[in-house]
Amino acid sequence: MKLKKKKEDPEIPTSSMADIAFLLIVFFMVTSVFSVTRGLEFQLPRQENSTEQSAEEAVHIFIEKAGSNCTFTVDGEITPLDDINMYLQPKLARNPNKFVIIDPSPTAPYRCMVDAFDELKQGDVKNISIPTTAEKAAWGSIM
Amino acid sequence: MNLKAPKRAEAYLPTASMADIAFLLIVFFMVTTTITVDRTAVELPTSLERVEVPKDAAVIAIDETGQVFFSNGEEDSRAISTQDLLPSAAFIMSKNSLKYFLIKADGAAEYRYIDQVMEQLRQAAVRNIAMLTQQEGVG
Repeated sequence: MKLKKKKEDPEIPTSSMADIAFLLIVFFMVTSVFSVTRGLEFQLPRQENSTEQSAEEAVHIFIEKAGSNCTFTVDGEITPLDDINMYLQPKLARNPNKFVIIDPSPTAPYRCMVDAFDELKQGDVKNISIPTTAEKAAWGSIM
Repeated sequence: MNLKAPKRAEAYLPTASMADIAFLLIVFFMVTTTITVDRTAVELPTSLERVEVPKDAAVIAIDETGQVFFSNGEEDSRAISTQDLLPSAAFIMSKNSLKYFLIKADGAAEYRYIDQVMEQLRQAAVRNIAMLTQQEGVG
């Protein structure tokens, strides 16, 4: 009897490779967390050449907590957030390097400070200063 | 003349390159994703103006109660007292004076906590700060 044996080609089974790879992709996509990498830039003044600005020249924005919201007192007058830029634009037209000081009260929510800061950025204010409590103490009263 | 009917090729989908494509995608995602160093849950404040900040920046997270978490941008963030922030920040600044510091604070946190952190950063001669925000909805 003649037995004919057919020889099979040796091969690596790769058909499931794609499934494995896609499974890995899905796993990484599900477990990865989206991290926020965008925000407002702010430059702290250099200590050596910190330019002294007199209180009369700078616009002073005082932020106080009022219920769940905040009041913004611009140069002594309570101003709605949207009107701050209207008040600032004529001053900036005269002096583009006008200093604006944001001075949140210690109990004001951080959110309000960001709102004011954002508003100033919208208005293209170049010199925004957020003095810390210790700095204010060093300056004396800036109000 | 012996005309044989032409042999029909079997229909099939070429799946050999599928694995290559998939692994390419994996590598792409692995290279482009940044590892999150800080997982403190905070409700970020919103702003219209937002700029992209460097990815290897140090992170200072402040939660609603004022607890501060610090990460140098490589290690996972850990709880830290405000006073300890100064040596940590100063050490980073001694290696890279242009390092960005991200402030990831809860919008409802009282400002005095942020004030304290800013004061420590100022003393450490930090220059570049970014306050992380969410996109403000238009309208």
